[in-house]
Amino acid sequence: MQPRKLGSAGIRGIIGAGLAPENAIDFACAFGTLANGGRVVVALDTRFSSEMLHQAVISGLQSCGCEVHDLGIAPAMLLSFAILELKADGGLLIGGGHQKESWNSIVPWGGNGAYLNSIQLRELFDIYYGRRFIACKWNKIRDVVPVPESIRKQYFDVLCRAVDTETIKKAGFTVICDFCNGSGSVLAKEFAERFGLNLIPINNILSGILPHDPEPRPHSAFQVQSLIKALKSDAGFVFNSDMSRVSLVSDTGETLSEEFSFPLGTNYLLGKAGEKNLRVISNICTSKILDDVVARHHGILEKHITGQSNIIDYMEETNAFISGEGSGSFTSSDWLPGFDAIYASAVILEAMAATEKTLSELVNELPRYHIVKRTVDSSSMHAYNRIRAIRSHFRDARICEIDGLRLDWKDGWVSVRASSTEQVIRLISESKDKELAEDRALEISTLLENMN
Amino acid sequence: MNRALHTLKFSEAGVRGVVGDSLTPQLASSLASTFGKYTGCGRVIVARDTRNSGKMLEQAVIAGLLAAGCQPLILGIVPTPTAQLTVTHFKASGGIVITASHNPVEWNALKFIGPHGTFLDTRESAELFDIFTQGNLDYCSERNYKRLRYENNAFKLHMGRIFKEIDVEAIRARKFKVAVDCCNGVGALYSRSFLEELGCEVVSIFDRPNGIFERPPEPLPENLAELEKAVKTHNCVVGFAHDPDGDRMTLVDNDGRALSPQYTISLAADHMLSENPGPVVVNIQTSRMVEDIAASYGCDVFYSKVGEINVVDMMIEKNSEIGGEGNCGGVIWRRLHPGRDSYAAMALILEMLALTNETMSEICASMPVYFNLSEKFRCGAFQAREIIYELRKRYCNYECVTFDGLRISMPDGWALLRGSNTEPALRLTVEATTRKQAQKLLDRFSNEVKTFKS
Repeated sequence: MQPRKLGSAGIRGIIGAGLAPENAIDFACAFGTLANGGRVVVALDTRFSSEMLHQAVISGLQSCGCEVHDLGIAPAMLLSFAILELKADGGLLIGGGHQKESWNSIVPWGGNGAYLNSIQLRELFDIYYGRRFIACKWNKIRDVVPVPESIRKQYFDVLCRAVDTETIKKAGFTVICDFCNGSGSVLAKEFAERFGLNLIPINNILSGILPHDPEPRPHSAFQVQSLIKALKSDAGFVFNSDMSRVSLVSDTGETLSEEFSFPLGTNYLLGKAGEKNLRVISNICTSKILDDVVARHHGILEKHITGQSNIIDYMEETNAFISGEGSGSFTSSDWLPGFDAIYASAVILEAMAATEKTLSELVNELPRYHIVKRTVDSSSMHAYNRIRAIRSHFRDARICEIDGLRLDWKDGWVSVRASSTEQVIRLISESKDKELAEDRALEISTLLENMN
Repeated sequence: MNRALHTLKFSEAGVRGVVGDSLTPQLASSLASTFGKYTGCGRVIVARDTRNSGKMLEQAVIAGLLAAGCQPLILGIVPTPTAQLTVTHFKASGGIVITASHNPVEWNALKFIGPHGTFLDTRESAELFDIFTQGNLDYCSERNYKRLRYENNAFKLHMGRIFKEIDVEAIRARKFKVAVDCCNGVGALYSRSFLEELGCEVVSIFDRPNGIFERPPEPLPENLAELEKAVKTHNCVVGFAHDPDGDRMTLVDNDGRALSPQYTISLAADHMLSENPGPVVVNIQTSRMVEDIAASYGCDVFYSKVGEINVVDMMIEKNSEIGGEGNCGGVIWRRLHPGRDSYAAMALILEMLALTNETMSEICASMPVYFNLSEKFRCGAFQAREIIYELRKRYCNYECVTFDGLRISMPDGWALLRGSNTEPALRLTVEATTRKQAQKLLDRFSNEVKTFKS
């Protein structure tokens, strides 16, 4: 099988082997056809191949007669903001996001500033597979319009109204931000200025060189961790390269699981709102910390299919207050319809400032679970059957199959699902008991490997 | 039949098609990747003309080149000869020019330049297309991507090289008043400053670089009424008419009379041979005027197949300094770079005017007089060859040249029949010393061709 995936996060693949310029142009033409030659905003990240995809995508969109607005190197939610601001019909985001080197992707966004939902995606993929695109006449091709830099200022103006900027400012935090050499560092200076932060940026060169695993996880937080005490910082933020996810390093130097980011934000936002029955949307493989936090505030937690597209769409559909995923991302109805690590970081800073607690103190208010995340190679036709076959091995568990397979026991749970962004099966096991979580993960990963 | 099948044309003149129909960004990108691989994944020059579709195709080409592991060096809108000369200057392994030259505005094309700054020849083009057909390229991996580079002063380089070879001071001293018709092509960006650098007072028309051709883009006398008017109104000593990508040029004399494009190479050769006698190479669609001029200097003329690269190849073989394509106003001055260059042609003509002290019409009056006429018959490439084979039999008693179509020498002129490289057509060109005789020749061969028509 070719290393290429077409899913809710667009078209993704290994550069050259699975994602070639023809695929990119076809995808852009399908999008231009879906947008009926309308207005489309384009942004890219810093991966080596992103410029290639950028050129290919613009060319494809132009051939459909689209009016392309080029945002240049920009984080995901600046694109979302620009789509809304320019009243565009949609946008395309080029970038590797959390994915390993040599992978890249093109993510389609709708005119509402969110990932395309499942219905729009189905239409897009039908056009892509059919490969019959609209083509405008030579004299209808429109010039590319650069998006003015003032868009960043507008973005921060709105962000500053969405959070308690004054309180954060007064606290005068020192923070370390690890941008993974991605597009986030274009916002660093203004982020610091607006929130009165002494912001120490690291890995902030706009380059395709990945300084560590781009997924915000404890093991990618070592560089921040080694600086946090030395620089007497209040918090460390580890971002992925499109600024949709964040993991935290506490003031005591603990590299926190990315699973803490969403519950920390939720704990604060629900408390601040002070209402019961507020709805929170999460996916089926997020830590139980969240369940406990939502219960503590008498909220309603609903678990939906993994992926930003599904979660945000379900949030809009159910009029929920907060949505997010355990991978280190969340948003609220006060903010844009997508996961924004800048917003998430601002909320966590506000939590620290408003409660006058350190990050480690805030974390200690949350229950602790042990979570194990593993991946098993699935570049095989049989990945889906292998997941299904796991079922019969665990007759004692409660089964949920809305997204892959989730097994629930009284003392823990396991989720096994095929990733929509990589050719892997994702295996997550969580329990209060570290040994138990690890044993279950090992048992299931061995079963999956043996079914090869 | 599907129109797309008809408008796409792969040939040694590049890959041309209609934008919004057959020439898609997907195709442009795949071709660019193939070319990038074919030339060894090195530096590749990317240039374009002013056509509206140019930018869209340029981006597809850049994406294709990057994915192949090349380093695209982007020149933006420049004349085709500038791109050719840049390839060797920057030691690139090739170049892609996005221009459909004189084709109508809805067309565009990718033209491929090899490492020596010349267009790919028939065999190289066939190799490229063979690789393209086999598909499944090995694309570059993420780690090995190269960065884009831009070069915004390529034309300055081109201009500098021309000025080094001509008597700039002599031209400047004359303070000529000249007119130029840029066809809203690349000339609109460069011709005025080029001529002003040579001390000329410049009247320019169709000088917006927007790619909207306000006259038919081929610089043929019948398309140059506006330039004729401009020359007359402003009392210019000469008028220059470009095609959209600046490789071909036609002259208007000081009386405001558009000359046949055959005069461009004839006058350039005359001027060149007057100082540096040597062999001349022209394609077989070139007027006998060149032969007469060369003879007056005791020089030889060699004929090549039609097509720039064919003339260039023979110029190298015959060690010829000057050559060209009479029928389309193409002048090749090998010392500058081996390709048709309307800027080199303008410089040579201005130098000629400056050094001879004669007006354009006086110079033309001293030239042997020939009349050219042509006619086009719609027919497929295969049928065209059948007709040519049959006529070769019918005219076997005449002196014939058969390496590219059929050129028959008649006592008072010649007739040439050949299949077009750029469209499904058979072209008949005749030349004679009087208009009447030319018409007679045209009628005669036109009737011959029509005997084949079903």
